[in-house]
Amino acid sequence: AATLTPTPRAGAGQDVGRSCILVSVAGKNVMLDCGMHMGFNDDRRFPDFSYITQNGRLTDFLDCVIISHFHLDHCGALPYFSEMVGYDGPIYMTPPTQAICPILLEDYRKIAVDKKGEANFFTSQMIKDCMKKVVAVHLHQTVQVDDELEIKAYYAGHVLGAAMFQIKVGSESVVYTGDYNMTPDRHLGAAWIDRCRPNLLITESTYATTIRDSKRCRERDFLKKVHETVERGGKVLIPVFALGRAQELCILLETFWERMNLKAPIYFSTGLTEKANHYYKLFITWTNQKIRKTFVQRNMFEFKHIKAFDRAFADNPGPMVVFATPGMLHAGQSLQIFRKWAGNEKNMVIMPGYCVQGTVGHKILSGQRKLEMEGRQVLEVKMQVEYMSFSAHADAKGIMQLIGQAEPEHVLLVHGEAKKMEFLKQKIEQEFRVNCYMPANGETVTLPTSPSIPVGISLGLLKREMAQGMLPDAKRPRLLQGTLIMKDSNFRLVSSEQALKELGLAEHQLRFTCRVHLHDARKEQETVMRVYSHLKSILKDHCVQHLPDGSVTVESILIQAAAHSEDPGTKVLLVSWTYQDEELGSYLTSLLKKGLPQAPS
Amino acid sequence: MDPECSRLLPALCAVLADPRQPMTDDTCLEKLLDWFKTVTETESSLLLLQENPCLVELLSQALKFQDVSSRILSFSLRLAGIFAAQENCFQFLQQGELLLGLFGEAGPLGLPAWNVPSVRSGWIQGLCSLAKHPSAEQFLVDCGAVDTIFSLQEDSSLFVASAASQLLVQVLSLSIQGRATPQLGSSDGDWPSCAQSIVGYLEESLRSGATPQITQALKVLTTTFGRCHHSWTEALWMRLSPLVTCLLEKDTVPTAHSLADLFLSMARSPTFGSSDCDLWVTLAQTLSCLSPTQAGPLALGILKLHVCPQALKTQAFDVLLQPLACVLEAAAQVPGSSGLPDGTGSNPTMADALLASTSSCAALLCQSLAHLGELQALPHSPRPWPQVLLLEATMMTLRFCSGSAVPISSVGGRLCGILASCIRVQRAALDFLGMLSQGTGACEVSSSVMSHTPHPSSVPLHVLSGWDSADPWVPCFPEAQACTFPAGTWKFLGWGCWGVHPLASVPGPQESVTQVFAILLEYLRSPESSPTVLKKAFQATLRWLLSMSKACGSNNPDPHTQPFLRELFPVMQKRLCNPCWEVRDSALEFLTHLTTHWGGQPDFREALLASDVPELTQQLLQDPEAYVRASAVTAMGQLASQGLHATPSGPEHPGAKQKSLPQELLHILSLDSEGFPRRAVMQVFTQWLQDGHPAMAEDLEQFMARVFQVVSRDLDWEVRVQGLELARVFLAQTLGPPDCPYAVALPAATPPTSPAEVLRTLGRVQLLEFAFRALFDCDRPVAQKSCDLLLLLRARTAPGGGLQGAECNPEAVTVEAALRAWQAGEQGQPLGELVPEVVVAILRALDLEGLQATLAESSDHVEQSPRSLLQDMLAAVGALGGHEADCY
Repeated sequence: AATLTPTPRAGAGQDVGRSCILVSVAGKNVMLDCGMHMGFNDDRRFPDFSYITQNGRLTDFLDCVIISHFHLDHCGALPYFSEMVGYDGPIYMTPPTQAICPILLEDYRKIAVDKKGEANFFTSQMIKDCMKKVVAVHLHQTVQVDDELEIKAYYAGHVLGAAMFQIKVGSESVVYTGDYNMTPDRHLGAAWIDRCRPNLLITESTYATTIRDSKRCRERDFLKKVHETVERGGKVLIPVFALGRAQELCILLETFWERMNLKAPIYFSTGLTEKANHYYKLFITWTNQKIRKTFVQRNMFEFKHIKAFDRAFADNPGPMVVFATPGMLHAGQSLQIFRKWAGNEKNMVIMPGYCVQGTVGHKILSGQRKLEMEGRQVLEVKMQVEYMSFSAHADAKGIMQLIGQAEPEHVLLVHGEAKKMEFLKQKIEQEFRVNCYMPANGETVTLPTSPSIPVGISLGLLKREMAQGMLPDAKRPRLLQGTLIMKDSNFRLVSSEQALKELGLAEHQLRFTCRVHLHDARKEQETVMRVYSHLKSILKDHCVQHLPDGSVTVESILIQAAAHSEDPGTKVLLVSWTYQDEELGSYLTSLLKKGLPQAPS
Repeated sequence: MDPECSRLLPALCAVLADPRQPMTDDTCLEKLLDWFKTVTETESSLLLLQENPCLVELLSQALKFQDVSSRILSFSLRLAGIFAAQENCFQFLQQGELLLGLFGEAGPLGLPAWNVPSVRSGWIQGLCSLAKHPSAEQFLVDCGAVDTIFSLQEDSSLFVASAASQLLVQVLSLSIQGRATPQLGSSDGDWPSCAQSIVGYLEESLRSGATPQITQALKVLTTTFGRCHHSWTEALWMRLSPLVTCLLEKDTVPTAHSLADLFLSMARSPTFGSSDCDLWVTLAQTLSCLSPTQAGPLALGILKLHVCPQALKTQAFDVLLQPLACVLEAAAQVPGSSGLPDGTGSNPTMADALLASTSSCAALLCQSLAHLGELQALPHSPRPWPQVLLLEATMMTLRFCSGSAVPISSVGGRLCGILASCIRVQRAALDFLGMLSQGTGACEVSSSVMSHTPHPSSVPLHVLSGWDSADPWVPCFPEAQACTFPAGTWKFLGWGCWGVHPLASVPGPQESVTQVFAILLEYLRSPESSPTVLKKAFQATLRWLLSMSKACGSNNPDPHTQPFLRELFPVMQKRLCNPCWEVRDSALEFLTHLTTHWGGQPDFREALLASDVPELTQQLLQDPEAYVRASAVTAMGQLASQGLHATPSGPEHPGAKQKSLPQELLHILSLDSEGFPRRAVMQVFTQWLQDGHPAMAEDLEQFMARVFQVVSRDLDWEVRVQGLELARVFLAQTLGPPDCPYAVALPAATPPTSPAEVLRTLGRVQLLEFAFRALFDCDRPVAQKSCDLLLLLRARTAPGGGLQGAECNPEAVTVEAALRAWQAGEQGQPLGELVPEVVVAILRALDLEGLQATLAESSDHVEQSPRSLLQDMLAAVGALGGHEADCY
């Protein structure tokens, strides 16, 4: 049976949650994603691993950890889990995720430590040591984790390197989608999976009821706003996390600047452009077809208009666009630039992602325009504030499409809002006639599976079957009796004689006995004779014998008659048979219980 | 409560109570509860409710269940619990029947919202907060909460079930400790009614035969015995022990893990650990009836106990040793010699488990190795400690995994097949092999001791165990003998090829150490070794080298190290060129450790310089992977500290225009696109300066000026912090040791530098410009570090009656203006050359103490404050809906 224990993970709605799902497939335990919650600054930011450590040492309990993609709500707790909680086993992810994950973890660590020099947080060394435990999985490559557990990655779109994973143990399998996108975007292709018919499909459902408007519209809107601000001499601040969304927006602006022949400078603040571009070039096969095709003529990630930012540039007069980290305006460079530019209504800040409570980003997105700063100073925000979601998740149509592709036996929805999930659940159950589950955080779903177990049949047994004259017929199932021997994880069906011989055991006879009362005032011998005649007339295909000692036999079945101790008008028939003739014995007993036909008087 | 918060509270409560206002961010509600918890820790809850009636209204609103969302309901339940934790506030809420409405049978129990796990969780957490005083117990009984707590023990949500279990323990303890019951016996009448119903429930669960119920009941007992150490727990055990112990009588113990946890929790409790109860017998019985995998954690737990009968510890230790003993036996067995079919050895269950499949074999071996490793690190590790057996078995396991063992027996052959290339076992065995370096000291052994080595073909376990970790090579023969093993030894047939001779003797310590180094070298050399295995092999090698050197002392070179090092460096060369960055990095980290410890030893220097390792390390400064570049910088820094780095233009490279190492590192600091190598460079410079490295001594001021100039512009704040650390060391060295009134007055080698001269030097090296600019850095740790540095500078150069400041100097005014501009986040002009008087004036003018206090707070403390939280929650009401759910 496959059991699922989703430990604390993405909650409902606007909750940048911690994706972390524990799946047990045929005794193998796999952790799917190991995310962090950016809304908390204490232990609650990480999943509560104590529910797993109760089962003994982590490395013994877990067979592997799989990371679907590099977003922190899917991988942010990884160094904590491996270096501080103590997991020392393998971690699987795709090569782009392996390359980009440490950059984002480092980025986040720096912000966390920057804010108040947190001591109880993972260090750079821990991130590196954690990354050394990673094993890269290429698309469609089947990786054998051990002799029973195998995993396979499929393209998921969403972000560079995002993958869906199939986890297979014997004939049982689970597919975990992570976050995915079924429509190609500017730099990534659409998610795809083959008809792998898993026992269970665990799918994200962020946009469970939404049919998303075209991303093109949002992109146009974004460009229009940036262009207008720059045209009127304003400055545009785009707070981003080091990698991911930033690259997508960079391509967008680069192309637009080229087409419109714009001159206003675009800067990227962290000095990470080089590294990011290196990875995007390196993993060009993970981008979409258009980027791959044009790669030969011009590399999309070699930006002509985007330059590295220097702190001095923020004071320069005139328009400019700056990408600065961190993405929620809660520390460092982006916050400093924001403070400088906030007072000018010509400027604009575009928040391309969600901001958690406790950040300046959250405040301005909720419409607060007078922000309290250190020392009771108030910062008046006159610049324009825009929110634009560029997240690339599958919408309701996309989720249905993926289920149609994979053809799972069961579906489990995660990473979404309960009410919306309920709606999607009904739709899935109706359309695909499969069971759909939507467990809350910490709930376990157990699914029964019917694993097919290969069994070898001995030649002797088959020959004996053949000797009985009936040729095998593929269309008609046939009953075959034998002894099942389980040894060294192998199953073999052999004849009972062979089993006895192999196991060095002696045969014991097992007989079933039964008493049948008959109303018959005649003597015992006469009753026996009546029984004999009756059975002889009915069981024409069987050998019915009347033995000299007064008993009747039919195959191994023995019938004897005795007088009833209290009622002389009743005879007791003692019927006994071996287990081989169990069917016949039961039949005979029921026959005798109906009584004997009336003898001609 | 902050008056501003108090002012905002009514509006917020109105929003929370309004079902039309969606509240989608759960973290806000969590943080709100955190705040109320903090407030009620120092203030009276009753007063709080009286002063803020909106809170009571909010709780009352929650009683209109139909109108309230599950989130607000859950929040209200938890909030009510926080307030009711104080008894007078509890009474207050009771009067209004609020608590009964929320937690009683008429509460949310029968509603659809109860199906939402967070509501059930809120209900439990509310009661957990509340159940702290005697009035609460009666309330729980009256409102029928105990039955609900029972039903939640098997909740579908892991979190709810776990919290319900904790609550049950809390209620049980409250019920019994709340009254003066002199003696609790086995009769129901002795127990308070609430406690009686809980005990009854536990009895029923234990009798049920259903694994989930039994497990949950065992968990409750485990928590009870772990938390409560009163005499009543003994009475509780007396009642329940027959039901618990009969679980052990089943063929397969269904709840082995929970049972083991329970018994260990009892053994740790002072109530049971020292008494004469049958606990030890039960533990012994449990150990013998659990499967090998289940018994391992229990055995480890027993061995970690401070108070425990020796016989039980011996039994537990045997359990942990069994898998390794089987490995040894499988290796040594001559087919048929043991008389057992297939030569399965002394513990057929263990051998079966090992041979069943790769998974079960790996699981058992890894568990055993990890547990033994954990034990070895304990101060009270089992004595006698079978060092020789463990070393032998661990090396054997590694040979099975690498395929270098040539097994003679069929079992050995099968084990070889099962373990071949099993990375999991390789990692665990290398970890443990490294740990075994503790307690093995070849130099301590004399040849006379070695002649006492036992020589049997089959040596009892406890005879082999008779090697004390304190004195590993002196055998002793305790009388207890539980099971036997044939002891084999491995004849060296050349590097990497081993054959077993079952009738030979246990190897001596010298031989063992040679074998350890040989197997480590085999793993380090093997192209089959995965990066994670190689890392473990490096770590184990380092531990063994350290242990050897510790045992022999610095004046007594260890005989094994030198030949090993000669073999090691060619392997290192290969590893430094490995295509996997993980391998190159681990090799560099290893090299840094080696150089730190042995860089001064002639043998080491000779072996290192005879290899290409220094040149390769230098080449790795240009590695494409930043982690590797950073490790190469650190390694080069260490090599250079010991005078072991490659010379810039050696005879092999005539005319080659290579930079000196400091210049090369400075180049990395200026141009490397990533933070790790730049941070590593700063660490190396700091270390060199501290050690007085010759490379720093030449033209130190000019070099420092260059470094500070570069580092002050670095985009990575951690590099800037490292820069300030370098500045601190430089400052301390320039200032000289502080004047100490208690210091013995020794004639100073050099006269102390005057403050004015110090300030001039600091100005020349650009340290002042760097520090003043950093004081207003947007990244708080930089500002904090700079503030500390300037405070130190002020204390030493501008104390009250020291150098006169030049407050009215026009230059000082300019500098102050520049500082103000920096503070405002502007770029400003460079300060230029500063005269000492101006610096002193600035140092005095700056409110460094005030700045230090401000910087000690988190940079987002304003945004994270309760007031900000309330403002955000109120502001979010109008803004919701515009932003669709979005994660990334």
